[in-house]
Amino acid sequence: MSDISRFFEDRVEGSQESLATALGQVALPSEVDDADLYFEHTTREHYSLEDGLVKKAGQEVSQGVGARIVSGEKTGFAFTEELSPRQIALALESARRIARGSGGGQPLALSRPGRPGLDLYPTTDLALDRPVPEKIEILATIDRLCRKESSRVVQVMASLAFEQKTIQIVRADGQVVVDRIPLTRLNVSVIAQEGENRQTGSYGWGGRTDFSAIASPKNLAHACREAVRMAMVNLSARPCPSGTMDVVLGPGWPGILLHEAIGHGLEGDFNRKGTSAFSGRIGQRVASPLCTIVDDGTIPGRRGSLNVDDEGTPTQRTVLIENGILKGYLQDRQNARLMGTRSTGNGRRESYAHTVMPRMTNTVMLPGETDPAEILASLDRGIYAVNFGGGQVDITSGKFVFSMSEAYYVENGKILHPVKGATLIGNGPDVLTQVRMVGSDMSLDSGVGTCGKDGQSVPVGVGLPTIRVDGLTVGGTT
Amino acid sequence: MNKSIPSTRPSTGLAKGSKINLEDGEEAVRYILEAARAAGATSADALYLSGVEETVGVRKGEIEKVHAAQSRGIGIRVFAGQRQSSVATSDFGTDHLKSLVERAVAMAQHTAEDPYAGLPDRILPPAIDPDRLFPEEGHIPSRDELIERAKTAEAAALGFDSRITNSEGAECARSRTHVVFGNSLGFLHGYRKSSYTLSCSVIATSKDQMERDYWYVSGPLWESTENSEALGLKAASRTVSRLGARRIKTGTYPVIFDPETARSLIGHFAGAVSGSALYRNATYLKGREGSPVMNPCMTLREDPFLSGAPGSRPFDGEGLPTRKKTVVDAGVLQTFLFDTYSARKLGRQSTANAVRSLGDGPGVGISNLIVEPGTLSQEALLKKAGTGLLVTELIGFGVSTVTGDYSRGAFGYWFEDGVILHPVSEITLAGTLDEIYKNVVDRGSDLEIRSSINSPSLLVEGLRIAGE
Repeated sequence: MSDISRFFEDRVEGSQESLATALGQVALPSEVDDADLYFEHTTREHYSLEDGLVKKAGQEVSQGVGARIVSGEKTGFAFTEELSPRQIALALESARRIARGSGGGQPLALSRPGRPGLDLYPTTDLALDRPVPEKIEILATIDRLCRKESSRVVQVMASLAFEQKTIQIVRADGQVVVDRIPLTRLNVSVIAQEGENRQTGSYGWGGRTDFSAIASPKNLAHACREAVRMAMVNLSARPCPSGTMDVVLGPGWPGILLHEAIGHGLEGDFNRKGTSAFSGRIGQRVASPLCTIVDDGTIPGRRGSLNVDDEGTPTQRTVLIENGILKGYLQDRQNARLMGTRSTGNGRRESYAHTVMPRMTNTVMLPGETDPAEILASLDRGIYAVNFGGGQVDITSGKFVFSMSEAYYVENGKILHPVKGATLIGNGPDVLTQVRMVGSDMSLDSGVGTCGKDGQSVPVGVGLPTIRVDGLTVGGTT
Repeated sequence: MNKSIPSTRPSTGLAKGSKINLEDGEEAVRYILEAARAAGATSADALYLSGVEETVGVRKGEIEKVHAAQSRGIGIRVFAGQRQSSVATSDFGTDHLKSLVERAVAMAQHTAEDPYAGLPDRILPPAIDPDRLFPEEGHIPSRDELIERAKTAEAAALGFDSRITNSEGAECARSRTHVVFGNSLGFLHGYRKSSYTLSCSVIATSKDQMERDYWYVSGPLWESTENSEALGLKAASRTVSRLGARRIKTGTYPVIFDPETARSLIGHFAGAVSGSALYRNATYLKGREGSPVMNPCMTLREDPFLSGAPGSRPFDGEGLPTRKKTVVDAGVLQTFLFDTYSARKLGRQSTANAVRSLGDGPGVGISNLIVEPGTLSQEALLKKAGTGLLVTELIGFGVSTVTGDYSRGAFGYWFEDGVILHPVSEITLAGTLDEIYKNVVDRGSDLEIRSSINSPSLLVEGLRIAGE
């Protein structure tokens, strides 16, 4: 990797001294607990295909500086898109008005910009640096492969997106942290038709990876096969039954259950304010003893992974639930301080234009000991849900939903037929107590998750072994 | 601000590395279009957005957050013959803009030739003077005034009932946006709009149950948020009324969608009538123009000229003059909605429904959509339905406009003989959009313009509810 420690110094107008002067403004007035400046420069590139043609290509550049001042429960925040010492000082001044005692103290002695200790995404082959035709060729290949899979495919839509984000965090303790964060994403979506019956199938893949990982022929073939297979399954799907029944969730992306049902409810801000259904429940049983759940930002190359969070705190593996007992919350610096604990490296923000909140990274249930085949065989009558769309949760009441995109009706342990997509609804604090079996086949999702909270989107991951959950409500039509 | 076609003032006088005058979006659009021409683009269109925004939040009577934002960006779509690409940036350095536009032209050389790609055939003036769509701001509040309003709303909510035990706080925000759009055919127009919002969210507790709800108002003027106490009381009463929620038995029942949830239900229709979805084979409405797609009691109009409404606009995302239209007339689909591309592809005319974001070329979208109201109050609608569910919240994403399949989580109130008996949670509603729209047997009179999609309460017969 090229030297990024001078990246922002070189981009800020005026002399280096004036930037140092502006940064010195981070000096804390008396009643401030924390403050930071977040420099960001992001380049995104995207390509999309439909009707067999790569019709669109584009690039976006966004850069700016967010200034944040934290005093107790209060946050003052402002940002500027102009990288000049004057604008940065103005943003800080605006943010600082939240705190009493507006006079600055001594300017901070800033450290040399330092790289994080972790190196989870050592890219050597950045997608942005590759020639445009290579990327276009990937999409053309996808179109060809999908149409070869089945003559019933009437539309193929595919997209590629690459991002490179460079950040520099100037903290109130004088520490300056820099990082460069790549993100790649491939999406394949097909529409298949049989008579008047039109169905969709899709597959997504991504991570903090090299270009070669996304472009590998094996990866592309798999993505196309999966998207077309799912559309074919849906063409023969029958209406889904409705009511309360037992459900077996397949491994991987169905881990969105963890994200919605418990992950959000364990974020520090909701628990500090006492607005989560999990508030004040550390040490209590919230899941079956079969369940151990972690949030792990340190898995190399994953979509939810980060060397440091957006406050410069190194990410870690945080145990949320151990053998069914609630162990901990996800914290940023402000909420950790107010709750008398330490940040877990979960302080994240969408961009310089957004402020920090506690967010998940990769949320994973550890594998159990049961053979997944045995779990499916145990189901008398219910649903085997293999893939999902999105989900949502009401933190306070604990009610959550997630939508199946590939599912089967099961009787006496045998798959009878696919069913149409339907919503599952449950109660977060109860659902994991209803986990009857946990499989040995834990897998991480393919790198597609985006989590929304308070209007901010951040990339996340999930992981799940095959599990059986009893008594979920299935929102079918019959 | 109804400007005539601009003079082609040369921008080459700007010094290398200097900044474009940010106060002037038109200057920026003119500059980047000229840069595209110089880089070899055969045509181009560009969008400039700038805004100021201030948001304050209070919680339990104390200031919790103060956010101030000043942002701007410019995006350009360039054509090299029938090939296109687009770029966008928030960095207004002229060297950067030039090299980005050069990059766009280079990228466009590699995309596919597409016979339907291109700017509209000709330019026309905007449909209406923007000043008539967006009222002039009178009083512009200080930060302290924003804080005061949020505090009043929250205090009213916290004092409403002893079962209100906690708060997520109240927020008050103002924003002002400047939109400028131009293309190489000579179109160059802009407008400014402002927006104020006030919202409040509180928590009610009884025994081991905890519920949260909220309410909000928004509008183009500071005055839009002046009933802050009433807003707080409404947020609190909505929250308290959720206590004691239980499930109901799985079955098929009449369902009344309140105006907020009806809005969401109608929003899916706005997606399904898109001309982009039509040419992609991605809508269940394909082939249904001129035939019934809703109950005969339903009429949907699009009105881009509603003063102060969030979707109002004098021209669309390609600079074409917007116009009113009836999308569904007495249940019959009158037209799909088209931008220039989807129209050309299907041998139709644009309906001036292009929407544009900075980073991407145009797509199809709605300005303001309104379901024509009926004559019954919500109470009378409950009486008419007899026994069933009044839905006030929907969660999740289980809707496909390709197949029309619909399945979502819901919260609401069980009623019998037209009288509400208890709140209901942890249930789902399911059906197909086609059946649901055809089974809307009546509408309320309670239409309010709060958003770009607006509906009165809707009574739907026979919807499948999964519960116990």
